[in-house]
Amino acid sequence: MQQPSLNVVVVGGGSGGTLSANLLAKQLGDQISIGKASVHLVLGSQEHIFQPGYLHVAFAGQDPTEIVREERSLVNKNVHLVEEPAQRIDLKSQLVTLASGEKIHYDYLIIATGSVPNPKAIPGLSETSLNFHTSPEESRKIWNVIQKFDGGHVVVGIAGVPHKCPPSPNEAAFLIDDHFRKHGTRDKVRLTFLTPYPRPYPAEPMSRVVEPLFKEHAIEVVTFFNVESVDSTKKEIYSLEGESLSYDLLIMVPPHRGADVVINSGIGDVDGWIPADKNTMRITGYENAYAIGDATNIPVSKTGVTAHLQAITVSDNIVSAIRQRKDLYKYNGRINCPFEMGSGKAAFVVGSYDMPVKEIRPSRIGYMMKKGFAMFYWRTLSGSFDWLFGLYFGKTQTVESA
Amino acid sequence: MSSSQSGVKPTTVVDSRGTMCPGPITDLFRAYRNASIGDIIELQATDPAAKSDTEAWARRSGNEIIAVIDEKDYLRIQVRIIKKGR
Repeated sequence: MQQPSLNVVVVGGGSGGTLSANLLAKQLGDQISIGKASVHLVLGSQEHIFQPGYLHVAFAGQDPTEIVREERSLVNKNVHLVEEPAQRIDLKSQLVTLASGEKIHYDYLIIATGSVPNPKAIPGLSETSLNFHTSPEESRKIWNVIQKFDGGHVVVGIAGVPHKCPPSPNEAAFLIDDHFRKHGTRDKVRLTFLTPYPRPYPAEPMSRVVEPLFKEHAIEVVTFFNVESVDSTKKEIYSLEGESLSYDLLIMVPPHRGADVVINSGIGDVDGWIPADKNTMRITGYENAYAIGDATNIPVSKTGVTAHLQAITVSDNIVSAIRQRKDLYKYNGRINCPFEMGSGKAAFVVGSYDMPVKEIRPSRIGYMMKKGFAMFYWRTLSGSFDWLFGLYFGKTQTVESA
Repeated sequence: MSSSQSGVKPTTVVDSRGTMCPGPITDLFRAYRNASIGDIIELQATDPAAKSDTEAWARRSGNEIIAVIDEKDYLRIQVRIIKKGR
């Protein structure tokens, strides 16, 4: 493959990868047009899924096709799409090897390969538990099952850590409660929320909001339950702490791991998370390689908003380097996770590296904002609406000029 | 709980310094999943909630906190795994 003078390779076409590629293509348009730079986006899949939509497919009957679009339709024309997955990344040689064996050399690299739900990590889980983190089809199965469920013990929760979208297990409990209430079967359902954490929501300020609402909605909570295994014959779930619980319907969020390409390339930790600087997202030991979003070991929630904000910072840093500026942009750890709490209300989990998570109560406006963002999501990937993000989020990065 | 000035040599060190809740307890659970009976996990944390969360988890799970060492800028919480699974 003939290479222009400077090549940026983005591996992974989720929220962070798509936005990074689009931002770079826009900001480097003049360089790309004269052959001085190029942006390659290496895709693991031709489809782009709006993953927060899994929740409404599973618990509100949304059509799964509404949360999927062709990645090609979302990418700037200046981005060179590589429609086959990366098989290996060699940070020392600055090479990305594709499934076909073709190698792409990069001058700058962004790894945005996300996280992979790993139900097989827990014996019995994949055979027994439904889940809404793996695909639109798997999410749809939940909707089909709960339509016919006529009573019994429903257990919803977190099977292992870490997992993407921290509020999603709690949201599932609220939404399935809503569902059974609407269908007049709530009195026949015992609903239990299972969590490894000490409280219903891991961050205490938001747990103070969730706990009374769970009580109000008759959602029982079992804490400190790290799932060890599931026995589908006995319909029992067991914890590492030595406890057990029986169920009739099990819907657990599986533990996640890093992407295969990261693990196979030996550039992640034991679970495949890439060590990176929490502000610049530079991969430890490499000046020209970055990791963003779920793929990193950075101590911040694995969410689309995080990936989005990190994509902005990393793109700014790469453009700065290519244009030989001395500006260094630093992400400040801002998170802003939508958190649906049933009855058409939602809050947001808001914090940053310097600002602990705040207590925010659910509201109708919060719900409208969550729904509005879902509709707006596809447009945000173009990189043309970051001024709006700036207005809403305020400062999400700082800049140092040497 | 018994404790000594410097603790004992841990089997696994979990460095969660710089992470906020639930980072340290999440890292502890990842280590617990891979641990064997008799192992000593040392959780290093700057988040003060790590101590109370680990103590509550140890009480509930039947594991033993053998030392909490204040290193001025961070805590080293040593847990002996004496119970895991059925």
